[in-house]
Amino acid sequence: MKFHIPNALVVSHKKIGDKIYSLIFNAPEIANSASPGQFVHIRCSNGLDPLLRRPISINDVDKEKGLVSIWYQVVGKGTEFLSKVKVGECLDVIGALGRGFDSNIDGKNVLLIGGGMGIAPLIYLGSVISKKNTVRGIFGGRNKDVIPCILSESNFDYELCTEDGSIGREGLVTDLLEDQLHKEKIDAIYSCGPKPMLTAMQRISSREEIPLQVSLEAVMACGVGACLGCAFKGYRDGEEAWLKVCKDGPVFWDSEVKW
Amino acid sequence: MKEVKLSVDVAGIQMKNPVMTASGTFGFGEVYEDFFSNELLGAMVVKGVTLKARKGNSAPRLVETPAGLINSIGLENPGVKVVLQELLPSLKKYDVPVIVNISGNVVEEYGELAGLLSSSSVVKGLEVNISCPNVKEGGMAFGSSPEMAAKVIREVKKSTNLPVIAKLSPNVTNVVEIALAVEEAGADAISLINTLLGMVIDIKRKKPVLGNIMGGLSGPAVRPVAVRMVWQVAQRVKVPVIGMGGISTAEDALQFIMAGATAVAIGTGQFVNPCCCVDVIKGLEDFCRKNGIKNINDLRGVAWNE
Ligand SMILES: Cc1cc2nc3c(=O)[nH]c(=O)nc-3n(C[C@H](O)[C@H](O)[C@H](O)COP(=O)(O)OP(=O)(O)OC[C@H]3O[C@@H](n4cnc5c(N)ncnc54)[C@H](O)[C@@H]3O)c2cc1C
Ligand SMILES: Cc1cc2nc3c(=O)[nH]c(=O)nc-3n(C[C@H](O)[C@H](O)[C@H](O)COP(=O)(O)O)c2cc1C
Ligand code: FES
Repeated sequence: MKFHIPNALVVSHKKIGDKIYSLIFNAPEIANSASPGQFVHIRCSNGLDPLLRRPISINDVDKEKGLVSIWYQVVGKGTEFLSKVKVGECLDVIGALGRGFDSNIDGKNVLLIGGGMGIAPLIYLGSVISKKNTVRGIFGGRNKDVIPCILSESNFDYELCTEDGSIGREGLVTDLLEDQLHKEKIDAIYSCGPKPMLTAMQRISSREEIPLQVSLEAVMACGVGACLGCAFKGYRDGEEAWLKVCKDGPVFWDSEVKW
Repeated sequence: MKEVKLSVDVAGIQMKNPVMTASGTFGFGEVYEDFFSNELLGAMVVKGVTLKARKGNSAPRLVETPAGLINSIGLENPGVKVVLQELLPSLKKYDVPVIVNISGNVVEEYGELAGLLSSSSVVKGLEVNISCPNVKEGGMAFGSSPEMAAKVIREVKKSTNLPVIAKLSPNVTNVVEIALAVEEAGADAISLINTLLGMVIDIKRKKPVLGNIMGGLSGPAVRPVAVRMVWQVAQRVKVPVIGMGGISTAEDALQFIMAGATAVAIGTGQFVNPCCCVDVIKGLEDFCRKNGIKNINDLRGVAWNE
């Protein structure tokens, strides 16, 4: 079930990195129905420019308090407007949208691999699946500015790396992944981040025959499968097809993506 | 004041109110079910249907512009067979007229589609898309010449007894000329406007943003053009006009009605506000009540009065 909450009260809004913010809003319907990997579609301004909503992954939910948390980076007009919203003001939100991660797993050894803002949905996933599985995160980015500083509050182990070594190890998430694969047997990998990172991940996971789920992005209009705009080339029932990120995804199995 | 009468008659299609969905922005009626009941709508216009399945254009298919959206979907749809067998039957349960939007590569295909769709008891009207800017063959080309436009409409009329709505393109020099030609050819109603051909260039990559290079502009940015075209056409034709292009509020819809539209359709506005259609319906009722208007039909074309 999708909900339109035109007046979701903002209860917290903090800067957690360079141009990165964490925002928490009240939307019990969304908090209660959401699953990891799903996203919310936010109206960033009441004006006509930007006109369309912006998709942002759900970073965590508090079902009891009815709260939804997101992490976002200011990259353009919409997110710039969003960064100006104050605690006590309301946001117009639709959610929870899309198909999330397959989090119905038990007793597995799982890696969560995130790059930049792609870390956000993995925090939610990790907090859910770490109850029944062994979960380890490998998170990275260009430099320390793109790593949210409140990461440490997560309830599973993780390792950090940056390309310039400004925080964590110097290197790419795929370097850490290779190291981890030498150490132990991994049953599944869940990943979200920039496309080149995902592509590199896919090469490794397919070589090792480890099931992989990735969360993808596309420019969206409706966010609910109405416009057919958020298309990317993938496979449905073994045949090439334009899959829709908002409805068929944003989370896809490795085999559904045309890499 | 007593009940306001919002119901309208578009070429024999009885609608509870003048608000319908714009083709291609409402899927096949399933997508906004979580947000409001389809039965509240005046009519449902479903995604453009072609004879054979179409995969659609390459990505990216969307780019936002100031107060607008350019799309190059390319009429992605599963083809008329699947639409008839799998998608339309599920719309039977709603007490709301369903209008199917059709597109052909050649004139004969329009006739064939009309014939096939007439067999469905769910379908209450056909909207003939002779204005799609996103396909290589047919589409807008049919809507750009009065002769071709008339030819398509005659072909459709030959193949169906359903009300036939001609959907016109704004990408023409003289929209009135095309409107008169399709009316003469037997169109029972006219809807306008489809999207305006446009494009955006990514100056960093030095390339067009859209995979298909060009696409169709919709949303508030096009509204003044749409209102103007409805104004011009509605004064010259006898058949009802369905106005669309950039409607997101009841006030926007009222402009179209006062310009001469019998009904209105909402597309891009629905992407921004998933309850847009029902908010507009409610807004129309409120406006009538506040202004002592008993029947929405009394507002049609009032702006023509000197
Ligand atoms: C399912 C999904 C989940 C997402 N989750 C998050 C999240 O948790 N946190 C977060 O910060 N961002 C997330 N994004 C990306 C976010 O939606 C975009 O950054 C945002 O829409 C940009 O809007 P804007 O108006 O600020 O920028 P715009 O002015 O629209 O664009 C600024 C620049 O960013 C690029 N851009 C725009 N949209 C995207 C996109 N979807 N992906 C990549 N580049 C884009 C543009 O090409 C342009 O160069 C997600 C996207 C999707 C599809
Ligand atoms: C994503 C999208 C898909 C569309 N698909 C169709 C279509 O299949 N057939 C058609 O006749 N018009 C199509 N249109 C045009 C709309 O029906 C409508 O005429 C136009 O968008 C103007 O209205 P709006 O500004 O309210 O969106 C489409 C528009 C959009 C934005
Ligand atoms: S954004 Fe409209 S179909 Fe995905």
